[in-house]
Amino acid sequence: MNQNAVEIRALEKHFPRFKLGPLDLTVPQGVIYGLIGPNGAGKTTTLDLIFGLGDPDAGAIKVLGLDHRRDEVAVKRQAAYASPDASFRAWGTGRKLIRFVSGFYPAWDEAYCEKLLAELHVNPDEKITALSSGSRVKLGVIIALAWHPKVVVLDEPAAGLDAISKQQVFAELLAAVQDEERTVIVSSHALTDLERFADHIGMIKNGQLLLEGPTCRIVERFKLLDFVSEDGAAFVSADGVFIQRHERNQWQAMVDTERHTMESLASRGARQISATPMTLEDIFVALGKD
Amino acid sequence: MSDKRPACLLPPVSPAAGPLYQQIVDNLKRAISDGRLAGGAPLPSFRQLAGELMVSLITVKRAYEELERDGIILRRQGLGTFVARDGDDRSRRVKTERAEELLRAGAREAAEAGLKEREIAEVFRRILAKEKP
Repeated sequence: MNQNAVEIRALEKHFPRFKLGPLDLTVPQGVIYGLIGPNGAGKTTTLDLIFGLGDPDAGAIKVLGLDHRRDEVAVKRQAAYASPDASFRAWGTGRKLIRFVSGFYPAWDEAYCEKLLAELHVNPDEKITALSSGSRVKLGVIIALAWHPKVVVLDEPAAGLDAISKQQVFAELLAAVQDEERTVIVSSHALTDLERFADHIGMIKNGQLLLEGPTCRIVERFKLLDFVSEDGAAFVSADGVFIQRHERNQWQAMVDTERHTMESLASRGARQISATPMTLEDIFVALGKD
Repeated sequence: MSDKRPACLLPPVSPAAGPLYQQIVDNLKRAISDGRLAGGAPLPSFRQLAGELMVSLITVKRAYEELERDGIILRRQGLGTFVARDGDDRSRRVKTERAEELLRAGAREAAEAGLKEREIAEVFRRILAKEKP
């Protein structure tokens, strides 16, 4: 029961100008896991590797306890992947695409598929080339969900969607994990939605994991502090202190409260400290900057 | 049994207004201390509330755990979650403590700004007269 949905250990993939890893990710079962990171951080590379699109140079990936390579068939029977790169145009209409794809999955749930099409306002009889890019992304999500796979991996399921569609997609994902047996992994830049819907967050940057954990804990862990200090040198170089701006003796910094307390900052000469909570987006921006 | 509950028990929450679970905790405490949720009343399930507020299950669990720890709600195995009999008293007590804490922080800030005791009291009276909670 408490098995992890996906475990990535010491994963490496080398490209001429980019190196992913060594990367460890742990996705618990029954959660929505948001994989976030600046463009080019390695999110899509990681998700592709889970599904055997490309060979890792080192490390191991387990999906539901199974090796993603050795037990490939068993993994693909329980895990779905939707990528925004899929164009689907060759099938003509969504209906034909669905008829084709559903043939591969004995567990295909036609009623659920119809419900998703209706709720996400995708017309399956429209020509795929005539669909908006948002509708095409939604079509990919619907196909990934419709056969009730245990693990659903979605690369950028919110790309190109307006705020309303984005919420609808995330609400469907929320409904999909309600039985706590299914797991959804999404890479996304829709940070406000992820803060709301994702139970777990992993943030990567330059191919390395920066932080991972329950969303609420991450959001609580970082605070924006305003304080007065005559000597900033004590803070500029400190680990876990991210200076946002300063003017004369007034400082504003994001602080990792697992490393610093108000008291420890006061002992370094900070006065009149006031703390403001941060959103996931604020934290992302502060950590993503070099 | 669940349809007897008001449809919109809690106001919506938003990441822009601080940690989501904290907003749920605060909103539930408010609903309990002002009597909209009476002692012994059933609370929505994790799932129901998560769906209603459009937040993850973990967020709702976290909020319930915190309220349980403060003795404001009780979980009964297999039956669900309920407002504690004296949940309103406890909720009020917790809120009072929190209010004191905020007032203390306000007084500290005012003192740092150079206000005298008399002036701080004056500011506070003015706020009270305007706000009429």
